[in-house]
Amino acid sequence: MRGFTPILALGVLVVLVSSLPADELSDVLDGFDDDTELVSTNETEIFKPSRCELDGSVGLSTAYNYAHGHPAPGETDYRGFSRLRGRLELGMDLRLPLEWKARVGGHGYYDAIYSLHGRDAYRDAVLDAHEDEVELDEAYLQGAVTDSLDLKVGRQIVVWGKSDTIRVTDVLNPLDRREPGMVDIEYLRLPVGMTRLDYHVGTWNLTALFIHEPRFSKTPPFGSDFYVSDSEPPHEAEPGMSWENTQYGVALSGIVGKWDIAFHMASVFDDEGHVEVDPVSAAMERHHARVLMAGAASSLAAGNWLFKAELAWLDGLEYSADPHDSRSRVDVLGGVEYRGITDTVISLEAANRHIMGYDEEMGNAPDNAQEDEFQAALRLTRDCWHDTLRLRYLLRVFGTDGGDGGFQRFWAEYDVTDVVKLTAGIVDYRSGDMPPYDTIGDNDRVFAELRYSF
Amino acid sequence: MTFAPSQRMAAASAFIGLLANFLFCPPPARADDAEAREIMTKVEERDDGDNRTTSMTMLLIDKHGKERVRKIRTHLKDKGEDVLKLMFFLHPPDVKDAGFLTYDYDDPEKDDDQWLYLPALKKTKRIASTDKSKSFMGSDFSYSDMTSRNLEDYDFRIVKTQAVGKWNTWIIEAVPKNEDVIDETGYTKSLLFVRQDNHVVIRAVHFVKEGNRLKYMDVKKLDLIDNVWVPTEVHMTTKKGNVTFHKTILRHQDVKFGQDLDESFLSVRRLEKGL
Repeated sequence: MRGFTPILALGVLVVLVSSLPADELSDVLDGFDDDTELVSTNETEIFKPSRCELDGSVGLSTAYNYAHGHPAPGETDYRGFSRLRGRLELGMDLRLPLEWKARVGGHGYYDAIYSLHGRDAYRDAVLDAHEDEVELDEAYLQGAVTDSLDLKVGRQIVVWGKSDTIRVTDVLNPLDRREPGMVDIEYLRLPVGMTRLDYHVGTWNLTALFIHEPRFSKTPPFGSDFYVSDSEPPHEAEPGMSWENTQYGVALSGIVGKWDIAFHMASVFDDEGHVEVDPVSAAMERHHARVLMAGAASSLAAGNWLFKAELAWLDGLEYSADPHDSRSRVDVLGGVEYRGITDTVISLEAANRHIMGYDEEMGNAPDNAQEDEFQAALRLTRDCWHDTLRLRYLLRVFGTDGGDGGFQRFWAEYDVTDVVKLTAGIVDYRSGDMPPYDTIGDNDRVFAELRYSF
Repeated sequence: MTFAPSQRMAAASAFIGLLANFLFCPPPARADDAEAREIMTKVEERDDGDNRTTSMTMLLIDKHGKERVRKIRTHLKDKGEDVLKLMFFLHPPDVKDAGFLTYDYDDPEKDDDQWLYLPALKKTKRIASTDKSKSFMGSDFSYSDMTSRNLEDYDFRIVKTQAVGKWNTWIIEAVPKNEDVIDETGYTKSLLFVRQDNHVVIRAVHFVKEGNRLKYMDVKKLDLIDNVWVPTEVHMTTKKGNVTFHKTILRHQDVKFGQDLDESFLSVRRLEKGL
C-alpha cells in the first residue's frame, strides 16, 4: 500500500487544484437548455392598477376532536367532528383621486356541523356564536392630507409592538378568542372604528388615534368546550359609542440604524373586564374599566438575529375581589428571532405580567388573577419545495414551569395551485392550573381547510 | 504488503490518468486575474439606471411541469452607492398587498436593512437576515441573485472565450474568497458569461453549496431602454446532472427610468400604505 499512497495523494492534489477539468467544464456548459437568442422586444405590459379591485376567498374547513371523554348527562357531546364550516371573504378596494383609497371588506360563514349533529344538542349561546356569522371587517377611507400627514378613518386594525405572539403594548384591537389556538392569525384581530392620523418626519412617525367604537374580544360562549365554568357568564355591560367613551392612543415610532423604536400611550377600556355585584339585587355584571397604558417597544437587528423587547405599565385595572380600588400592572416582554437557517425562522418570546398591590383574593374566580403571570411562546416556520409547502409550529405555555397550561399547534400549508391552498394541522392542549387550561386539556383536535382565493 | 498484478495495473492506470489530467486540464485557478477583475469592474460600473420602476412576472415551473405565477411591482432608487428597493406583491391573491423594503448597502461590513409588510398581520416586521441564499418568493432566484455582489469578495479568472448566439463572451470564474460569502450567497463558485461588446452578464452557472446542484441563468431577452441594457427575460434553471428540478422565467415589463421617486417613497410609510 506504501507504493500506492503517493500516487493517490498526487491524484487527490491534482483534482483539488484543478479548478474545473475540461470535460467537467464542458458538461457544465452543456447544461443550458438551448442556445440563447438575444432579441429586443417592444412587448410591454403597462402596469395600471384598476380603480376598483375585488378580492376575497371561499373556504371549507373541518375539525375533529379526538381526545374528549364521554360527556356527563346533560352535557353536549363534543367528540368527533366539531366543524364543517363554509366561509366567504369579500373585499373591495377603490382608488380615488389624489391617491386616496377606500376599502370595504366583510365575511360570512355557516357551520353545518350543528345541523348535522342536531341543533338541540347545543346551547343557544353556542349556536349564536358558532353556527353562522356575517360581519363587516375593515372598512376605511385612507389618504394624505398633506405631504407629511396621513389620515385613515373607519374600521381598521392597528398593531402596536414588536412581538409576534404575546401582546404587551398591542392593546388597541380585540381578539377572536372563542377557540384559542384554532383561529388563523389573519382572523385573530377584530377591526374597530377609529380615526388615525400619522405625521411623518424623516424616519419618525407620530400617530394619534381616536377609537370611536368600543369593541371587546369574542370569548367562548356558555356551553362551548372552551368555556371554563358550569354557570352562565354575567351580563356584559358594554360601553356605548359616545364622545366620552372615545378611547385615545398616541405613538411615536422611528428607525435609528438597526433599531426600530416605538413609544405608546393609550387610554382604552380593559378588554378582559371584571365582574361587579349589585349590592341590592346581587346580580352580577361584567364591566370594562378605563385603563391607561404607557409603554415602549423596540427591536434590534444584528446579523441573523432580531432581538425584541416591550414594556408596558397599565393603570386603572379593576378586579372583582376589590371593586373599590384599582390596580396597576407592569408587563415585560423579551424575545429573539433567528433566521440563520435557510428558509427557517425560529422565534422565542417570554413575558411576565406583574400586578402591583396584589391581593390573594384576586386569585379566586371570577378574577383568577396571579400576582405574576408568566407566559412563553415558541414559533418555528419552515418553507419547503420552493415555498409550495410551509410548515408551522407554535408552542404557548403559561407559568414558569408550564404548569398553568398551554397548547401546541403544528400545521402545514400547501399551495395546490396559486389560488387554492390546503391547510391541515393538529392542536394539542395542555391541562394546567389556571383557566381556561384547567378545563380544556382534552380539547385536542385535528383540522383542515381548503381555500380558494381570488 | 504486496500488490496483486491487477492492483498494480490499477495503480499504474490511475497514475497515468491523473498525470494526463494534470497535463491537459486548464491550469489551476490563480488567486485573482487582473484582466478578469477589470472586466468585472466594467460590469459593475456599467450604467444600470436610477429611479426605476418595473413590473416583474415570475413563472415558476416545478419538475412535474406544474406552473405558478408571481407578480411584483418594484421601485428602485440609488442613494449614493446604496440601493433602496421597494416591492409590492400583486399575485397570487394570498400575498396581494404584501410589501418588501430593502436598503442594500454597498459597504460589505454593513448588513442590509429589510422590512416586510404582511397584510394578514397588518404589521411591518423588520427582517434580520444576512442569508441571501434563500429562494426569492419560491423561485430559482435567490435574494443574492437580486442584489449586486461585492467584487472584493471574489477571485476572478478568465476561463475562456465563447460565442453565445452571435455575441462573443468571456467566461469568468468567480470564486468566493471565504466561507462567509459562500454561506451568504449559497454559491461555492459561479461562471459568468460577460458579453464583450457591452459588459452585460448574459449567462451564468452557479454552483450551489446545498445539494450539489447547478443553477443556470440565461438572459433570453435584453433590451436597451433609455441607454441602459436591461435583461427583460431571464431564465433560471436548477439542475443536478441532466435532471431539471425547478425553473423560473422572470420577465421585466414596463421598465422605466428617471421616475419621480423621492427617497421618502422608499419608506416604511409607503410600504404600509401600499400601491
